[in-house]
Amino acid sequence: MIKISNLEKIYRTEDVETVALNKLSFEVKDGEFVAVMGPSGCGKSTLLNILGLLDDPDSGSFLFNGIEVAGFNERKRADLRKRNIGFVFQSFNLIDELTVFENVELPLIYTGVKAAERKKIVEDVLDKMVIMHRRNHYPQQLSGGQQQRVAVARAVVNNPKLILADEPTGNLDSSNGNEVMQLLTDLNEQGTTIVMVTHSEHDARYSHRIIRMLDGQTVMQDLMV
Amino acid sequence: MFINYIKIAFRNLLKNKGFSVINITGLAIGMASAILILLWINHETSYDQFHEKKDRIYEAWHRAEFSGELQCWNTTPKVLAGAMQKDLPEVETTARVNWRNMKLFTVGDKSLMSGGNIVDSTFFRVFSFQPLKGNLETALMNNDGIVLTRSLALSLFGTEDVLGKIVKIDQEENAIVTAVVEDPPKNTRFNFEYLLPWSNMRKMQGDESNWQNNSIRTYVLLRPNTNLAGVQEKMKTFRVKYVPDEPKWQMFIYPISKWRLYSNFENGKESGGNILYVRIFAVTAAFILLIACINFMNLSTARSEKRAREVGIRKVVGAMKSSLVAQFIGESILVAGIAGLLALLIVILSLPAFNQLTSKELMIDFADPTFWGLFIAFILITGILAGSYPAFFLSSFKPTRVLKGAFNKSNATVSPRKVLVVTQFSFAIILIMCTIVVRKQLLHAQNRNAGYDKDKLVYHMMNGDLYKNYTLVKNELLESGIASSVTKTSAPLTQAWRDTWGIQWAGKDPNDKTDFDIFSSDENLAKTAGLQLVHGRDFDLAKYPTDSMGMLINESAMKAMNLKDPIGKEIFDGDEKFHVVGVFRDFIIQSPFYPTKPMLIEGAGPNWFNTIHFKLSNSGTVADNVRKAESIFKKYNPSYPFEFKFIDAEYDAKFAGEKRVATLSWLFSFLTIFISCLGLFGLATYMTATRTKEIGVRKVLGASVTSISGMLSKDFLKLVLISVFIGCPIAWWAMNNWLDNYPYRTGIEWWLFLLTAGIAMLIALATVSYQAIRAALSNPVKSLRSE
Ligand SMILES: Nc1ncnc2c1ncn2[C@@H]1O[C@H](COP(=O)(O)OP(=O)(O)OP(=O)(O)O)[C@@H](O)[C@H]1O
Ligand SMILES: [Mg+2]
Repeated sequence: MIKISNLEKIYRTEDVETVALNKLSFEVKDGEFVAVMGPSGCGKSTLLNILGLLDDPDSGSFLFNGIEVAGFNERKRADLRKRNIGFVFQSFNLIDELTVFENVELPLIYTGVKAAERKKIVEDVLDKMVIMHRRNHYPQQLSGGQQQRVAVARAVVNNPKLILADEPTGNLDSSNGNEVMQLLTDLNEQGTTIVMVTHSEHDARYSHRIIRMLDGQTVMQDLMV
Repeated sequence: MFINYIKIAFRNLLKNKGFSVINITGLAIGMASAILILLWINHETSYDQFHEKKDRIYEAWHRAEFSGELQCWNTTPKVLAGAMQKDLPEVETTARVNWRNMKLFTVGDKSLMSGGNIVDSTFFRVFSFQPLKGNLETALMNNDGIVLTRSLALSLFGTEDVLGKIVKIDQEENAIVTAVVEDPPKNTRFNFEYLLPWSNMRKMQGDESNWQNNSIRTYVLLRPNTNLAGVQEKMKTFRVKYVPDEPKWQMFIYPISKWRLYSNFENGKESGGNILYVRIFAVTAAFILLIACINFMNLSTARSEKRAREVGIRKVVGAMKSSLVAQFIGESILVAGIAGLLALLIVILSLPAFNQLTSKELMIDFADPTFWGLFIAFILITGILAGSYPAFFLSSFKPTRVLKGAFNKSNATVSPRKVLVVTQFSFAIILIMCTIVVRKQLLHAQNRNAGYDKDKLVYHMMNGDLYKNYTLVKNELLESGIASSVTKTSAPLTQAWRDTWGIQWAGKDPNDKTDFDIFSSDENLAKTAGLQLVHGRDFDLAKYPTDSMGMLINESAMKAMNLKDPIGKEIFDGDEKFHVVGVFRDFIIQSPFYPTKPMLIEGAGPNWFNTIHFKLSNSGTVADNVRKAESIFKKYNPSYPFEFKFIDAEYDAKFAGEKRVATLSWLFSFLTIFISCLGLFGLATYMTATRTKEIGVRKVLGASVTSISGMLSKDFLKLVLISVFIGCPIAWWAMNNWLDNYPYRTGIEWWLFLLTAGIAMLIALATVSYQAIRAALSNPVKSLRSE
């Protein structure tokens, strides 16, 4: 599904150059659940943004389903992204002015699904995430765990092949965190590939494999059983 | 997708009520001003555009050189029309029209004065007016006929059904009503209440067949598909064919589409006219709307931090930049739509006042689909104008940055926003400056000494039996103590009816072409009008019967004729010989914005009088004296209504145009400042809100309230100061040009710039300081805890 080699990303500000990714290479197979770990500032989020086609690498190759996507323009990236990739963030990132239902519906709108069909799909997903009874609430009216469940619902509503999660439990207590991890595991068992950034060894144990990073490079990969 | 946009747009509006109110109010006021101005422009450009044959209608004009300057004028000889029909195959027909004339109409015991024209029977073949009764084709062919407008018919007869009825004109002639037409619309130069057939010309004014007397207008209807250039070529030499001894007099025809907006000629070339005002108004409308749109842009981008996260999320879940641009523009169109409806309400409420201000009768035809089409187009344009910059600004945010929460807090006054604020205030400052200068010029002219005593001075035009009963009226006015002095004159003291450069006197340089205003009166003019005599005496026919050939001259005339000892000097006007009996100080008879001209007042001898002036006495109230005067006039001139005028009111009317400019510039600058300050207030609110934490920290560290509010206000005042430096030179240039129209004019002194700058700074400071002081006074513990 994902094959990156010699990926480089350098941030330039007026006086400093930060090498966020330094000739990074690894592969993620279809149906895998991979955790990415490493100290703060080692480039995990940068990596995830590139994998999610939100950002462009400076050099290196990125094959997504066998297609070279490094150097795609914004339009092509957006098109590929909305059909294949779902995102879950540490800070949920729901739109405050939209209800739970409308937030989850959003990706379907941008992929051009008809309204009646949208309703069915969204209700299905909300049912699965056990958040249906809150469908008409606004994000501020929900607990953190509930908000993250909505965010997961939004990430999967398009049936993406890949879910990218950046510290999905970072803002949650352990019981809410476990709930979200369970959701991700279930999705993975149904065939979705997942790449998750985390600081928690406990969460990482849900994955098949841990990629450990330091200063923009992979230092080792542990295989879980 | 669309519904989703509308939903979020509405929720955004409701969530940020303060900003929404500022945005919508500003836009609504801006749009309302623009709509009012567009209505006015639409009216101005629609003059005489309703005639079916408008593409073929022209007016005949003269062009000739006088003392080195080409002059153009549109009065023509009466015989021109016939000659054109005979000689020019391109001409389908012509229609002559005389100057609008007041006449007395009597039906039974009802009498009233009404204005209209004597016209050719072809008038309605050239021009399109709406018939109500009778046949317009033939109505003016009947030599005894008359065409009335609906309102004149109603006021004379109480009904429109008046075909064949008789009207008495000026107590002399009877005319039969041959047609009734709808009142002419406001947007035409033909504002008649009656039309009389040309046959009346001979009886009423003379229908001479010479080419010298240019006293009427000639309209020309060309045949379809005529070669205009060919006609113009023939017109050049047309008059010379008939008047070979004036070879320099050319003619041309002038299209109907240009009558209203152009027809000012300077040295033979078109030099604009009302089109200038149309352009000034259009620019003003555009700017006021732009300023309102700038508010929207500034507040939308200032709040971008709030929207940035939304943009990021939408992009992550698959939104293209284009769909986000569409979303934000859609939002601003929604805001413009709400503001547009509010603007329409403002327009409806303020239209009567605006009409009064511009002396128009503008209105909106709500049943007209083109109005709604234009209205929607107007909303779309406003929405796109206001929304495009914020849309591109907001939609270009990178999701990787904004979602990290590390969205760099943009300083609320980054450069594009600064530029926009400076644009707004520059325009406001230009308008403030213009308002001050226009008002100063008005006061300057109003405070100018008129040179005579306008107080309680009244005049009445000569008509009916007044000619023959003048002496009786005069005596009774004086004896009853109503008036302290009575004089008849050639014209009202506020109007110059005649001028000539043909005056002769001993010692005149043969090349001298001094133009004299000529006036005439019987006696006691200096007393009645309160003129100040510097030499000699007033006319006094009882004591000096030869005063009938006497002359009063003003100081300018004395200087122009270079008379050292003027009393007794002989002065010739044509064949008439006058002798000077007095010299008076110049008084303003024409425009108070021009220098006074040399003026001669001739004695009664050879002259004809049109006006009775009388000075109301100091005993009794003015109202009482006027009522008594009315009964005297009624007694000696029973069939004419008593229509008197106060000289001071007439004199005041000379300032009407300038007063209107003053009021309009005041109004526009007020609106501009108001809208700009709304925006500034919004920006200040936003600024202080984003800096609460900084303010808290500063206070904890010991900053005083004044230093904090000063710090917050300073940024804005700097912008206003820059605007002063941009706006003042532009205003100076514009006002200098405007003042150039006035020979008697005020100056633009340096302190005006200080005043303008002061006003602008003060208004801006008042707007900003409310928020600044409020923020500075807030409890630092609160603002710090909230983080
Ligand atoms: N927009 C940017 N401009 C400049 N430098 C950046 C930018 N974004 C990230 N960096 C730098 O790149 C490096 C990698 O950042 P990144 O956000 O990927 O780290 P991270 O591993 O996700 O850290 P954390 O665990 O704290 O989230 C850091 O040194 C960071 O300072
Ligand atoms: Mg990170």
